[in-house]
Amino acid sequence: MVQAEAPPSGSARGTRRKARPDPDEKEATQTAALSERSVRLAKFYQGKVEMVPKVPVRSLEDFGLWYTPGIAAVSKAIQADKDASFDLTGRWNTIAIVTDGSRVLGLGNIGPEAALPVMEGKALLFKYLGGVDAFPLPIQVASAEELVETVERIAPAVGGVNLEDIASPKCFFVLEQLQKRLPVPVWHDDQLGTAASTVAGLLNALKLTGRTIGHTRTVLLGAGAANLATARLLIALGHDPSELTLVDQKGILHAERVDLDELMLHNPWKYRIALATDGGGRKGNLSDALVGADVLLAASTPGPHTVKPDEIGRMAKSSIVFALANPVPEIYPSAALDAGAAIVATGRSDFPNQVNNSLIFPGVFRGVLDARARSIPDELVLAAAYELAARAEDVGLTPTHILPTMGEAGVFPHVAAAVAVKAVELGLARRRHSRSEFLERARARMARPALLAKALEKAGLIAPMPDERNEPRKKP
Amino acid sequence: MTQEKSNPTATIPIHLRAATAKDVPALVPLLVRLKRLNEEFDPLLKVREDVESQAEEILKRDVTNPNAVLLAAEGVGADKDKVVGVVRALIRERPFYTPEREGVIVDIYMLPLYRRKGVGEFLLREVTARLKEKGAGVVTAEFPTQNEIAVRFYAKRGFRPITSLHARSV
Repeated sequence: MVQAEAPPSGSARGTRRKARPDPDEKEATQTAALSERSVRLAKFYQGKVEMVPKVPVRSLEDFGLWYTPGIAAVSKAIQADKDASFDLTGRWNTIAIVTDGSRVLGLGNIGPEAALPVMEGKALLFKYLGGVDAFPLPIQVASAEELVETVERIAPAVGGVNLEDIASPKCFFVLEQLQKRLPVPVWHDDQLGTAASTVAGLLNALKLTGRTIGHTRTVLLGAGAANLATARLLIALGHDPSELTLVDQKGILHAERVDLDELMLHNPWKYRIALATDGGGRKGNLSDALVGADVLLAASTPGPHTVKPDEIGRMAKSSIVFALANPVPEIYPSAALDAGAAIVATGRSDFPNQVNNSLIFPGVFRGVLDARARSIPDELVLAAAYELAARAEDVGLTPTHILPTMGEAGVFPHVAAAVAVKAVELGLARRRHSRSEFLERARARMARPALLAKALEKAGLIAPMPDERNEPRKKP
Repeated sequence: MTQEKSNPTATIPIHLRAATAKDVPALVPLLVRLKRLNEEFDPLLKVREDVESQAEEILKRDVTNPNAVLLAAEGVGADKDKVVGVVRALIRERPFYTPEREGVIVDIYMLPLYRRKGVGEFLLREVTARLKEKGAGVVTAEFPTQNEIAVRFYAKRGFRPITSLHARSV
């Protein structure tokens, strides 16, 4: 039996805390229950997605159409025009979820085999939320170059690539190289998905507190995959780089820090941000960075005491705090609000304002696949962020509603349409449609998987949860 | 003493001058940064514990050594009077070859914000001129073999490898 990683309740740490209900322990208990059940269900279902036919097979004769000899003509057509593969095969809707297993969830470098259940889960999310056929594809490689080469070689089969759970700074190199070399969009969710949903939430938080991005002072705690991408996007949106301060374990990231030459050689992406921002004109630690800051975007180590209330207290009035570490945010929302923050977001669904890359990637991939985009530059990422922000605003912005929730499923097709239209605008689309056409397509394609699953469940082809067979179904 | 020379191109964000004994405290950390950068390229370039005092000694000696060129780079504008880079070069005799005197660029280090923008080009031009004044007929540069940035920089400016230094620990 797999042991769940729950800290014993009533630990020394727990007794020191106030009487407030402990969200930490509640989360740990829930996680323990989910972990145990996950393993049981994995044994039962043995995989989360499977291939099913999408063409009728009335008799074995039909294989002459779907396979040889008829299919040779289809191959010839593609031989004459490679892009015809998007019309004549499922390539238009197929992506690979690629990982080397070097940084899986919070588990670290657990290897490609151990990453497979996670990639399968992601494939299920891609299908269910985005209508995308995603292949879980963990691969065994010895180097970043090998990873790039391997993905390059499977590109003919796919309309896009989603990189997942690859260690930083390797992930920057792999994404940059593949974006350059592949004729289809390449996305790294840990960078771009997180950055785009962060930016979407931030745009609305700025609006609510009467700020504009050009006149905002922002501190980013953590300089890993997510925050380096966020910093880049903020600058692209017009944030003054000299008002941006990145902070990592060694303190404020500025241009004269002694480890800068090492970064130049081993993490040029972080090096470039260090030069562009030069610590926002500051040196020192997080406390020094936060004095008078409008925004804190923390994507660092789990809390709840990574950021202290008195540090939040040093920020400007009506400050904005995103504490995105999982499973425990760098500071609990209640503590940040008590310390003077006006708006707080976390990565968790049990607090308001969940910053979640699942709000972004289904729509982004639906959009680039429907437009048959050749690449996915930052403009497309920002288009997704703007659209997500606009959808939350449509429902109504409040300090506890700066982003749509995962329950607001109507959001995804809009994100898809916004991304597809932007791809057309930038001349990256192999397919040009109007916004409303893209929206209709996205709606239909995103609705289909749930209908499919329902039908299969009804026909008994998807087994009910084995541990729920004799219980009445819980209402959602 | 070499004559002071100001920056001819306004876009280059530095000012270069001969270093004096007063500059040594500001030059030490820059030289140490360079040695630590070199350390990244090969374990046989592991920096000693007493690197600071060694750097201080050597820089002090260079200031009065007629066969050394020691230049301090300063910022301009708001960074005026701030030492942001160091260039060290030495004259070496070539008893067997002609030209008979060689100017060896042994250390160039600029703080990250003062790199590119034509700075390297400018430094190379200036130090070459000063080495030539001291009789050098050939200019060479020493740096770790694995430093591809340096390899590219010098190759672009007409330098080619002429001797190699191969090492193993014993």
